[in-house]
Amino acid sequence: MSTQTHEPATTGTALSFENLSVTFQTEFSDVKAVKGLSLEVFPGEVVALVGESGSGKSVTSTAAMGLLPSNASITGKAFVGGINVVNLPEAKMRKMRATDIAMVFQEPMTALNPVLTIERQLTESLELHGLAYGKEATARAVELLEMVGIPEPRKRIKQYPHQFSGGQRQRIVIAMAISCDPKVIIADEPTTALDVTVQAEILDLLRELKDKLNTGILLITHNMGVVADLADRVAVMFRGSLVETGTVDQVLNRPQHPYTQKLLAAVPRLEAVDISGDWQPEPIAPVNPNRTLVLEAKNLVLEYDMRGSKFRAVDDVSFELARGEILGIVGESGSGKSTIAKAVLGLLPVASGVLAVQGQNLTQLRPKAARAVRAKIGVIFQDPAASLNPRFPIGDCITEPMVVHKVGNRAARIKRATELLEAVHLPASVINRYPHELSGGQRQRVCIARALTLDPELLIADEPTSALDVSVQAAVLEMIQELQERYEFACLFVSHDLAVVDLLAHSVVVMKDGHAVEQGRVSDVLHAPQHDYTRRLLAAAPVPEPGEQAVRREARRILLANDNPDS
Amino acid sequence: MSEHQNNDELRGSSNMQSEMGPDGHPVVSLAEVEDAELAKNESQSRSQGQLIRRRFLNHKPAIISSVVLVFITVMAFSSIGFAGIPGWWDKDYSKAGELINGGAPTLSLLPTWLGGSGLAFGESPFGQDNTGKDYFALVMRGTQKSIIIAVIVGMVATFIGAIIGAVAGYFRGWVDEVLMRITDLFIVIPLLVLAAVLAQMVGNKSGSIFALAFVLGLLTWTGLARLVRGEILSLREREYVAAAQAMGSKTSRVIFKHLLPNTVGVIVVNATFAIAGAILLETSLSYLGFGVQPPETSLGLLISQYQNAFTNRPWLFWWPGMIIVAIALSVNFLGDGLRDAFDPRQTRKAKRRKTKELS
Amino acid sequence: MLKFIIKRLGASLGILLAASFLLYVLVINSGDPLQDLRESTADNREHLMAQRVEYMNLDQPWYARYWDWLTGVGKCFGGACDLGTNIQGQNVNDLLAVAASSTLRLVILATVLAAIFGIAIGVLTAVRQYSGLDYGVTFLTFLFFSLPVFWAAVMLKEYMAIGYNDWIKEPDISMVQIIVIALLFGFLMQVFLAGDLKRRIITFAVSAAFVGVAIPYLLWLNFFRYPQLGLVGIIILSLAVALSGTAMTVGVRNKAVLYPALITVGLGIIAYYATFSLLESPSTWLLIIGGALSMIIPGAIGYFMGGRVRKIAMWVSAFTGLVAAGLTTVDHIFRAWPEFLALKPRPIGTIGSQTPNFDGGFWEIFLDRGAQLLLPTLLLAIISLASYSRYTRTSMLEVGQQDYIRTARSKGLSERTVVFRHAFRNALIPIATIAAFDFAGLIGGAVITETVFGWKGMGEMFKTGLEHIDPAPVMAFFLVTGTAAVLFNMLADIFYALLDPRIRV
Repeated sequence: MSTQTHEPATTGTALSFENLSVTFQTEFSDVKAVKGLSLEVFPGEVVALVGESGSGKSVTSTAAMGLLPSNASITGKAFVGGINVVNLPEAKMRKMRATDIAMVFQEPMTALNPVLTIERQLTESLELHGLAYGKEATARAVELLEMVGIPEPRKRIKQYPHQFSGGQRQRIVIAMAISCDPKVIIADEPTTALDVTVQAEILDLLRELKDKLNTGILLITHNMGVVADLADRVAVMFRGSLVETGTVDQVLNRPQHPYTQKLLAAVPRLEAVDISGDWQPEPIAPVNPNRTLVLEAKNLVLEYDMRGSKFRAVDDVSFELARGEILGIVGESGSGKSTIAKAVLGLLPVASGVLAVQGQNLTQLRPKAARAVRAKIGVIFQDPAASLNPRFPIGDCITEPMVVHKVGNRAARIKRATELLEAVHLPASVINRYPHELSGGQRQRVCIARALTLDPELLIADEPTSALDVSVQAAVLEMIQELQERYEFACLFVSHDLAVVDLLAHSVVVMKDGHAVEQGRVSDVLHAPQHDYTRRLLAAAPVPEPGEQAVRREARRILLANDNPDS
Repeated sequence: MSEHQNNDELRGSSNMQSEMGPDGHPVVSLAEVEDAELAKNESQSRSQGQLIRRRFLNHKPAIISSVVLVFITVMAFSSIGFAGIPGWWDKDYSKAGELINGGAPTLSLLPTWLGGSGLAFGESPFGQDNTGKDYFALVMRGTQKSIIIAVIVGMVATFIGAIIGAVAGYFRGWVDEVLMRITDLFIVIPLLVLAAVLAQMVGNKSGSIFALAFVLGLLTWTGLARLVRGEILSLREREYVAAAQAMGSKTSRVIFKHLLPNTVGVIVVNATFAIAGAILLETSLSYLGFGVQPPETSLGLLISQYQNAFTNRPWLFWWPGMIIVAIALSVNFLGDGLRDAFDPRQTRKAKRRKTKELS
Repeated sequence: MLKFIIKRLGASLGILLAASFLLYVLVINSGDPLQDLRESTADNREHLMAQRVEYMNLDQPWYARYWDWLTGVGKCFGGACDLGTNIQGQNVNDLLAVAASSTLRLVILATVLAAIFGIAIGVLTAVRQYSGLDYGVTFLTFLFFSLPVFWAAVMLKEYMAIGYNDWIKEPDISMVQIIVIALLFGFLMQVFLAGDLKRRIITFAVSAAFVGVAIPYLLWLNFFRYPQLGLVGIIILSLAVALSGTAMTVGVRNKAVLYPALITVGLGIIAYYATFSLLESPSTWLLIIGGALSMIIPGAIGYFMGGRVRKIAMWVSAFTGLVAAGLTTVDHIFRAWPEFLALKPRPIGTIGSQTPNFDGGFWEIFLDRGAQLLLPTLLLAIISLASYSRYTRTSMLEVGQQDYIRTARSKGLSERTVVFRHAFRNALIPIATIAAFDFAGLIGGAVITETVFGWKGMGEMFKTGLEHIDPAPVMAFFLVTGTAAVLFNMLADIFYALLDPRIRV
């Protein structure tokens, strides 16, 4: 970890910004995205630029690549290896891309051209910048793929992007970024779209490459765990300005600026995870005989119809959820966790097994009775941008369940909407506003209000905070917790984030490939995992403390080495 | 997703107010900033419809086209009258008259100082045909009928297309299969061919332009249906639709309250294109002799009837053709303006600071 | 891949069958085929009616008639089609043989032209979004969308064909006209080539001056009646292609590309003399083989001399070879032109798909067909071009916002490479599906165009057939156009699969 202090000079830096400002002209007004930012990245160093949405962190990096849209006006300086790239002629900028400055993007699924082979996409920058041609270039590309850990690179280089998994595609994007030995790599949220175990692998890869190639890395992220894992220094951005810079230890452990302090306080943490396996579980409390089961699954099987053939998304899963409890379902993408939520919501038929809400088995209900059951279930989805009908004012969105179930008259509905808005801490005036006028966090609070309109017995929360910023997530989680304590509904909380589940849930089901690999009390499962997969999952989740994360990283390495002794 | 984030990015610091909370302490949390902004925001709430209207009014070609369209429509209906109400034009389209100056048009738009005779309508602005009928009255009548046909076709096609597209997109399965096969049918039987056959059938049975328009409407919905289907297929995966289904909404409510209103952009835009297409289809059919049958008339029929007069009286050919082009062109531009207004993705036009080098 | 095509083909045949049934039923129900005879006062009315009933099998129920027709078509698989007889008792097979070739020639040529130019224009306007060129082309495409085909056809006939025919008798261009043409050409060139103000002014001046000098010179040569290219012209133009091709790809300093291209030009000169007498009166096959060879041989040279830039060398050489061969052909066409003018003093035809009783050598007949085909093709192509360019523009703009385009830019690729290597192929994918619909529209347009230009083609067959409620010719029309549409659709599908590896692998 680099702790030396740097002089504010451009010499010797891989990338440095001096008083950079970016303004966008939009349809109706001008927007200042970056306001006078100064920052240096030295060779062989990882500088994390962290901030929430709207902080201008991605705009900063795109400015360094010279890839901002034409409605952006840039002032100040951005030096890449000593050359100021602000307003540099396009032809000169092009020569510097890939050779001096390269980029790794957030979405590996869309960052590669679907109609060209990996070979073509890897060799073209080599040929373009005159580093290698023809067979030489292919050989070099195979080398690169090997370096980023793609198995059988010689064979797979002839394949197309859709034949690779998300993690592999991100490795290929990284191979592309390092192909011309750039002085600096900008990694823009390189692991955000990936599962936590894949994220850990990609972070390992980046760390390894940084040491090997001595390039500077500007890591753009919102995830403090990733920062703690990889960064040497940290710069925190808020609303277009830099509020704090320092070493990773300084910023994460002794934040000075109130914004940073609040931000770090908002990050949910996995407490005291025990990976070694000698955790003493709390004594098992006797089951309360008075508890009323709200949701019950027995040997639940769910299937998708894939053009005639059935795909089994959930296989033989059982759980119970009682009034006043929160049950977390965790797993990686494709584990079937959201499928369960869908089935409870009646969006997917149950293939076999029992799925009962308040004792009524959903599979055997007549449509009318099923509709009555629906009234007792509220739902919050992941994407606040898509969860509200853009043509409905907020008031209509919230009272829609009342309209559907013909509850109350107009005045009663408006009264209920006002009440609920107050409960989610939104001003009553938004009742006539449209969803697009609200921010993501505010929309998600509207969704919570809508879920609670009919006083549900059961709340289904499907990744309700994964599209939100950290501080907004904290506010929303707090709100769910508070409302749950007040109204005592049961809550099925689906999430990929172990820390969030740890914070909120009472019990948890860990899912993998449609199976429940482990389930029980949160305090047992997440703190003393019995199953290997749960252990790996826990080990892969980074924590926002560099010292602790270093220890965990080492522990994970040992865990993985024990799992596969040959590698 | 990326678009949404981009929006938030822009929203984050959209106003340059001082970053102080209501109590004077600096605001240091994104959630607080957003809430403060929301509370402060006293501006009139804008629905999407208002934003769209604003964008549309900024689209100059569309506005000019609307003016042209309104002008032509008002002229056509007011000049010779409609449905028994007399118009302001004194000549009858069915009465032959005396040929003046070989029946040449008397309309003049050239001002006197440029050698013209000033802005004058004259006796017969569009000229006369070989029997001395006033061509202006004839063309206005044809325009009336063509507009009526086009609007009916547009409405019928839009109605059927929207419903079938929505149903196919929502239920998928066999409904969808049937729709796609019908669409395939139009690949092997050109629309014009099928329309000609059906129009002839209608012509032989009733001869009314309303029946013709209705039949053409029954044929031209497939394009819109495909587009609406595509739109619904993506919309139905949105979470607000899942939310509506989960809260127990009836299917009809989901389709008509949540899905179709959100495809209104596609529907409105393509309704205009359907109207432009209908004008051209009707004129083509009438030209071939399968469309509007005399004594009814339309612009296409006029061209067809007078095409042999081209060498002697070219204006008999020019006027109806130009009006067809004017209507179709305006409607197309109108549709283009509506598309930009509803879907500003591709038209987020910005002043270019530096022209990007190409080559 | 093969499975995919077979599946699509099977589905298409099913559609074809269903469509034939639908069309047959609709046509026979669209009126009364005996109408005119019923109203007739002729003495032999009864006889005529009986005769027509026999020709059209009107005494049988409709399903039997359809079955008859279908079995007749089924015989096609045995090589002996039986498409029935029309209202006058003529064998439809014979009618079809004459009609089909001219219509298919028209439709296919128009499709190819429209697709190539439409897509090119679409790409250009997408790349130059919101430029003067974009606005101009947008306006023109909307205008073409809004043109009634027959109205535009009459205009073209009246003003272009007759105007040109009058002019070619004694080609003369007045000084004022030359100046106007030069200024217009200069203006258009600067719009197309774009650049900053200085570059635009230079482009304008150079191209206007060029036209201003070239037209009087050509007039002096009497080029319009006695055009000539000559070996010198061919050499200069092929050299220009070879050099600019090399310069645009790797730069003229790269000998691995330059040399094969120059050798190709040399071979072109030799070939010009070697094939001279052969090309005086060639055959279609000869031209096709020659064209193929003119790409294969230079391609091979490029392959062996290209070294590490082998692919580029192959393409540049092959393209140069094709251009040289094309120029050689043009030279022969030029040589035939005076002869052709003597045979046919008003060259651009407005009626019919070929001049009746026209007799001449290969090139003269070629020119005659071409001249008759010119206006209808132009018209159909322009209207269909409008939709291709519009779709391509939209598709390119859509693709331009994709992440992988940003990735490509971040590698430092030039805008041209980004557009052609990364954006273009992806943008073509949705266009492949639209092409099938467009083809059907073109066939509809062909019906009208043929009517305006008085062709005895498929459109004519359909029109008269339908007028007389006579199913046999209408169904014959459908059989040809429907099959063509299915084949074209299949081509589009194959193309689609070639473009998109997600379908292929």
